[in-house]
Amino acid sequence: MTAQTQAPVLSTPESNLFETPAPSTIPARENRLSDAELRDVYETSRTALEIREGGWTKVALQFPDGMLNDAPRVFAVLEELLSRSEQIPEVNSVEEGEGEGEVGLGVKGKEKGERENRTRLYILADTSYGSCCVDEVAAEHVDAEAVVHYGRACLSPTSRLPVVYVFTRRALDIPFVVAGFEESFSGKREGGGKEEKVVVVADLTFQEHVPVLVERLRERGWRGVRGTDVVHDPTASIPNRRIAWRGGGNEEEDKEEGDLKEWSIWHIGSPPAALLLTLSSRIKELLIYPSTAPQSTSTNRNANGKSSTRQEIIRSNTSLQLRRRYALLTRLTTTPIIGILINTLSVANYLSSIDALKALIARKGKKSYTFVVGKVNAAKMANFAEVGGWVVVGCWESSLVESKEFYAPLGLALESDDERVWSGEWRGDFGGLDTGEGKKTNGRAVMEEGDGDSEEESAPPEFDLRTGRYVSNSRPMRTTTKATTASSSHPSPSASTSTSTSAASQILSRRPKQELASINGAVSPGAEFLRSQRTWTGLGSDFEESSEGGGGTIEEGRSGVARGYTVGENVERT
Amino acid sequence: MVNFTIQEVRALMDKPTNVRNMSVIAHVDHGKSTLTDSLLAKAGIISAGKAGDARATDTRKDEQERGITIKSTAISLYGHLDSEDDIKDIVGQKTEGNDFLINLIDSPGHVDFSSEVTAALRVTDGALVVVDTIEGVCVQTETVLRQALGERIKPVVIINKVDRALLELQVSKEDLYQTFSRTIESVNVVISTYFDKTLGDVQVYPYNGTVAFGSGLHGWAFTIRQFAMRYAKKFGVDRNKMMERLWGDNYFNPYTKKWTNKGTHEGKQLERAFNQFILDPIFKIFEAIMNFKKEETKTLLEKLSIKLAVEDREKEGKPLLKVVMRTFLPAADALLEMMILHLPSPVTAQKYRAETLYEGPPDDEACIGIRDCDPKAPLMLYVSKMVPTSDKGRFYAFGRVFAGTVRSGLKVRIQGPNYTPGKKEDLFIKAVQRTVLMMGGKVDPIDDVPAGNILGLVGIDQFLLKSGTLTTSDTAHNLKVMKFSVSPVVRRSVEVKNAQDLPKLVEGLKRLSKSDPCVLVLISESGEHVVAGAGELHLEICLKDLEEDHAGVPLRISDPVVQYRETVTAKSSMTALSKSPNKHNRLYMIAEPLDEEVSKEIEAGRISPRDDFKARARILADDFGWDVTDARKIWCFGPDTNGANLLVDQTKAVQYLNEIKDSVVSGFQWASREGPVAEEPMRSCRFNIMDVTLHADAIHRGGGQLIPTARRVLYAAALMAEPGLLEPVFLCEIQVPESAMGGVYGVLSRRRGHVFSEEQRPGTPLFTIKSYLPVLESFGFNADLRSNTSGQAFPQSVFDHYQILPGGSPLDGTSKVGQIVQDMRKRKGIKVEVPGVENYYDKL
Repeated sequence: MTAQTQAPVLSTPESNLFETPAPSTIPARENRLSDAELRDVYETSRTALEIREGGWTKVALQFPDGMLNDAPRVFAVLEELLSRSEQIPEVNSVEEGEGEGEVGLGVKGKEKGERENRTRLYILADTSYGSCCVDEVAAEHVDAEAVVHYGRACLSPTSRLPVVYVFTRRALDIPFVVAGFEESFSGKREGGGKEEKVVVVADLTFQEHVPVLVERLRERGWRGVRGTDVVHDPTASIPNRRIAWRGGGNEEEDKEEGDLKEWSIWHIGSPPAALLLTLSSRIKELLIYPSTAPQSTSTNRNANGKSSTRQEIIRSNTSLQLRRRYALLTRLTTTPIIGILINTLSVANYLSSIDALKALIARKGKKSYTFVVGKVNAAKMANFAEVGGWVVVGCWESSLVESKEFYAPLGLALESDDERVWSGEWRGDFGGLDTGEGKKTNGRAVMEEGDGDSEEESAPPEFDLRTGRYVSNSRPMRTTTKATTASSSHPSPSASTSTSTSAASQILSRRPKQELASINGAVSPGAEFLRSQRTWTGLGSDFEESSEGGGGTIEEGRSGVARGYTVGENVERT
Repeated sequence: MVNFTIQEVRALMDKPTNVRNMSVIAHVDHGKSTLTDSLLAKAGIISAGKAGDARATDTRKDEQERGITIKSTAISLYGHLDSEDDIKDIVGQKTEGNDFLINLIDSPGHVDFSSEVTAALRVTDGALVVVDTIEGVCVQTETVLRQALGERIKPVVIINKVDRALLELQVSKEDLYQTFSRTIESVNVVISTYFDKTLGDVQVYPYNGTVAFGSGLHGWAFTIRQFAMRYAKKFGVDRNKMMERLWGDNYFNPYTKKWTNKGTHEGKQLERAFNQFILDPIFKIFEAIMNFKKEETKTLLEKLSIKLAVEDREKEGKPLLKVVMRTFLPAADALLEMMILHLPSPVTAQKYRAETLYEGPPDDEACIGIRDCDPKAPLMLYVSKMVPTSDKGRFYAFGRVFAGTVRSGLKVRIQGPNYTPGKKEDLFIKAVQRTVLMMGGKVDPIDDVPAGNILGLVGIDQFLLKSGTLTTSDTAHNLKVMKFSVSPVVRRSVEVKNAQDLPKLVEGLKRLSKSDPCVLVLISESGEHVVAGAGELHLEICLKDLEEDHAGVPLRISDPVVQYRETVTAKSSMTALSKSPNKHNRLYMIAEPLDEEVSKEIEAGRISPRDDFKARARILADDFGWDVTDARKIWCFGPDTNGANLLVDQTKAVQYLNEIKDSVVSGFQWASREGPVAEEPMRSCRFNIMDVTLHADAIHRGGGQLIPTARRVLYAAALMAEPGLLEPVFLCEIQVPESAMGGVYGVLSRRRGHVFSEEQRPGTPLFTIKSYLPVLESFGFNADLRSNTSGQAFPQSVFDHYQILPGGSPLDGTSKVGQIVQDMRKRKGIKVEVPGVENYYDKL
C-alpha cells in the first residue's frame, strides 16, 4: 500500500478544527520565545512550586489553542523543574521532550508504575468549550488531581479540581502607558486637576503591572487612581476584580456599586465583549488601552520617536452592541421552542441554573430542550431547525456568542428572562437567575386567574416586535392543562372511564395513527414543527410532485451483481 | 336630538334590502367631512346650524385642529323616503317599506392615510365620490376610485363646492355646465379604465341621478332627478324623460315651445335646459342675496315656495344665502335619495362581491352564505380595522357581517391573515364579548347584528393585529386580506428618553401598530424601535399618537430614513459555489435580476406562493416569457415566504434534492431577509440552483450543514451579480398655478425629481405636474415646495415603485452608494466594510 501524500478529497481540513465563533482575544505569537522568556511567561517555577506544595501526582496542563505550540516546551521545563526538585536524577525528561510532535494530539503521560510519588503531567489539547474555562472533565479523564490553566481565564468557580492559574504574563511598557493615561485624562478638566476617579483594570495577562502602574501614577499626582486585585468572583461589580481602595486615605472597603458610577475604568489590553457589556452599564466610562504588541514598542521608540508607537486609546461605546443584544432578546420572546445550550461543564452550580431556566421557560408556556454540542459552531446549531432560539449556559465570558452566522439567535441565561425589564444593564453570568422567583410566580398566578373563566378559548397571540406581527403559537405549552380537560371530552375509550384520569395515564393510552406525540395533552412542539414545516417526509413523499408531467412508462431495469447485470429475462449479460 | 332609536336601527338591520353601506371618498380637501355633516344634521346628530363647520366625523382633536381627516369614522343613520314614487325608482333591487338604514363611513382624503380608505371600502358596498368643482379629479380621487372599483364598489358622485364657483370665480352658467360635464367625463374615464365585467357599467350620469351637485359648506345639493320631479308636473311629461332632457345637449325652444337637441334657433343661441331650468334659479338666488336685493329675494323665495324660519328672515348676505339654499335644496335629501336609489343594498352587492371577497371555493357554505347575505348561514365577518376605545389599550374590532348573525357571547373562530384552513396557525377561538353600533366617536350597545351590517366588536382585539376573519364554520377560508395602495416606506426610529420607560414604549408600539391599518412597528436587527409609515405626515401623526397617547412617555425620534432593498443588476459573473462546513456538500447557484413586472405582480399578490404551481407557471410563461419548466420549479418566494425574490430549481437529476429543499428554503428566507450588502431585505432577485452535490449519507447533509451553506452561496451569487440598492420612489402629483411652476421645477430638480407629465386643467390656470421623487429626497419636500411657490403648490406623494439608487456600486466604499451602505452598516453596528465575495465563495 502506498503512503498517502495528501489528504483525501473530501476530508475536513485541519484549519476547520479550530474554528470557533468566539474569537480569541490573544493573538497567536509569531516568534518563538526564548527559553528564558518561556520560563518567565509561563511562570514555570511558581507552577512547579505550587504543584509540589499541593502534593499532586497527576496534573493536567490546559493551554488555549493559541498557545498549544508552546505546550511541549512548557511541559518539558515543568517536568524538569519538578524532577529536579524531587532530587531524582531524571532520565525520562529528555524522552518526554522528544515526544513533541505527538503531544498535541492527545493526552500524553508517562506510565511508570514503579515511581508512584513522581508527579506526572498531561497536556489537555482540544478544549471542549471555551479556552477560558477550566476543562475539568478532560482533566478527569486522566484522573488528574489538579489543573494548571494557562492564558486568560474567566475565573469561574470550579466544582471538582483545584486549579493553578497562570495568566501568562506579558510585558508592558510602563512609561508609555502612563503617558497614554495622562493624555486621555488630563485633557478633560481644564484646571488640570488630577482628581479624576479612575480604576485601573488590566487584562489578566497584564495584571501584574497594575500595582506598579498605579504607584507610578500616584507619584505623578493622580490621587483618584485605584488599582485592582484579582478575585475569583465573576459576579463582582467589576467581574473578577476587587478595587484596591487602600491608599485613598480612608479604608472604605465596602463601597457600593452606586459609587462605581462615578468612576472611569482604564483598561489595559482589549477586553472581551462580555466584559465590555457588563461594565458599560455600571461605570461612568470605559477607556481601553489596547496593548497589542508590547514587545516591539521599546525598540521602535528609540528609533523613530513617539509617534509610531503610540497606542490609540479607545473610548468604548457599547450602546450598539447592547442594542443588538436587545434585538436578539426580543426575538427570543416569541419563539415557542427554546434550546438550552450547555456550554460548560465546570462552572459551579450550572445544574441548578439549568433547572431554574427550565422552570422559567415552562412558566412562560414555552418548550425547552437541553443540548450539549461541545464547541459551538453554526453548523451544529442549525441542525435543530425547530429551535427558535438558544439560551447559552456557560461561563460569563465565553457564552456571549456574537455572530451573524447562526440560524437562530443565541441568548444568555439572564437575557432570556423576558419579565426582566431591559434597563441597559447587562450581566453575563447566571448567578442572578433564580432570585426573585417568588415574585414572578405570583404574577403568573394572577394572570392565570384572569384566564380561568375562558376555558376552551385560545390564549391571545403575542406581538412579535421583531417583525411587527402577531405570533400565534409562541407559548405552546401554556395550554397544557386546558387541553387535557378538552381532550378528555372527546369520545375516546380511555377517557370515558373517568374524567379525572391523571395526566400520566393519558400518556400511556394509545393514540390513533398519525397523531403526534403529546405531553400532558399538549402536542410536542418539536413534533408539531416537523409535521407542519417539513415538506420532505421520507422517500416517496415527493412522488406526487415529480410525476407532474404524467410520468414516464415503467421499464424494467438491470439487475444482478456487479460481475454482470441482466436486463429483464434476458440471460444475456451486459 | 337624534331622531331615531337604536331599536329602530336594529329593526332595519333585519331588512338587508333596506340597508346601504357606503363610504365617502375623495381627494384631500374636497369636502368629505363637511358634506357628511349635512347628513348628520338631517339625522339630528348635530344641529343644522353647525353642519358644515362641525365636521362631526373628525372626532380626534388633531383632526379638528389640522382640518384634515386622519381616521375613518363610521356612523349609522336612519333614512326615510317619503313618496312611493321614490321607492319605485329603486331599480334592480328589492326593498321593503320606505325606511332605510345607512351605514356611512367618512374616510380621510390625504394620500398618506389611504389605508384607512381601503379599510373603509372593504366593509361598504357603495361609495360617494366627492369632487371639487374647481380642482376637478385629482390624483387621490383617481386612487380611491380605482380602489373602490377593485373592491367592486359602486360609485355615485357629488360635485362639491359649487358655491365657490359662483361666489369666487363668478363663472357663467354655460361655463359651469362645461366644468361639471368635464369633471363627470374625467370620473367616467377612470371608471371605465377599471371596468369590471361583473360589476357592470357603473359610469355616472347626471340624467340617471347618479351625480349630485352642491355645496357641503352651505349644506345644499341637488340631483337632476329632484328638479325633474318639480318640472315633470309643470310640463306634464314623464319624470324620467324629463331627467334626460335636463342634461346634455337638450334645449327648450321658447319660440316653438318644444324640446330640441339643436343649440340654435334661427341663428339665436338657445339656453341649455340644464342652465335654464336648474342653474338659473340658483344663480338668481345667489345674485339677489349677495347683492342685497331684498325685494327680489322675497319674490324669488315666494316663487320657489321657500319658507324661512322667523329668526332666519333677518339675516342677509352669506348667512341668508346659506339658509335659503339649505331650505331650497337640502343636501341631505339629495344625498340620501341618491344613495338609497342608486347604491346597492348588501343583498345586491354581496351577490357579485362574494367571489372577490372570499378566498375559498365559491360553492362552500361560507361563500354561499355571503352571496345570499343570509343571516342564518354560518357567521362570516371581516374585521377591517381597530378603533381605539376610551379604555386605554383596548380596541373595538370594526367590521362587517357578510353572512350569519353575530351576537354578544357567540363563540367564534378568529382567523388571522396567515391562517390556512386545516392548520392551527393564526387561529383562535373566543367568545365575542359585546357587539356595538359605531356612532361616530360614540358607540351604542346592540344585542346582535345580522348579515349586511357594519358593527364594532368588543373582546377580540387581542387576537387580531389589524384585520382578520371571524367565522363559526370550521371549514371556512379567510375573507381576502386587504391590499393597500400605500406601503410603509418612510421609517423613523424612536427611543425613550428615560431608560425605565422602555416597557411603556414597547406597549405603546404594540398599540400603535393596532390602531393604524398601515403603520409597521418593529425592532430592527440592530435593536432600534422602528416605526414605518406611508409618508411624512402619516408618520408624524403616528409618532405623535405614540408619544402622547399609546406610550405616554417622552421619546427621542430620529430623522426619517428610507428602507432600501438589495437587488442584483446582472447575471452572476460565474456560478457561485459554497461548500458546507463539513465540505461534503456543494451548492451551485446563479443570481439574476427578476423582471420588474414580475416583482410588481408578486407584490400585488397576483403571483403568489399560494397559487397552484401549474397556473402560476402558465402566467409566468405566457406573460413574462419564462421557461415553463423553470416556472414550475419555483421552490419558494422570500423573504417571509411571499416576497419578490424567487428560488428556482434548475438542477437536473440530482439525488436527494427534495430532502434538502427545506434547508435550502430556510437559508433562502434568511438570506433574502438580510441581504449581503447591508443586511437589508432583498428584492427582485432570482436565484437559480444550478447543481448540487450531496453526501450520500443523510446525516452529513442535514440542516446544520445546508442552511448556512445555502445562505452563503446565495450571498456569493448575489455579490457576483453586480449588486445594487433599490430606493423607493414616490409618485408625486403637484397642483400649481402657472405662475409658480418655475419654483416647482426648481425644487424637483434639486431633489432628483423627474417630471413625466404636465397638464393644464382646462379652464383654469392650474397645472398638474406628475413626477417621480425618490423617497429619500422627499423629506421636507412639502415645506420646501411651499416656500418656493409661496404656498401655491399642493403636492400629494404616494409610493409608486423602486428604482436602482444611482451613483456607483454599493460594494465600492468611495462611491456615493457605497457611502450610504457604509453609513447604514455603521448605524446597524456591523462591520463597516461590505464583506467580499471571498467570504462566501468556496473554491472547488
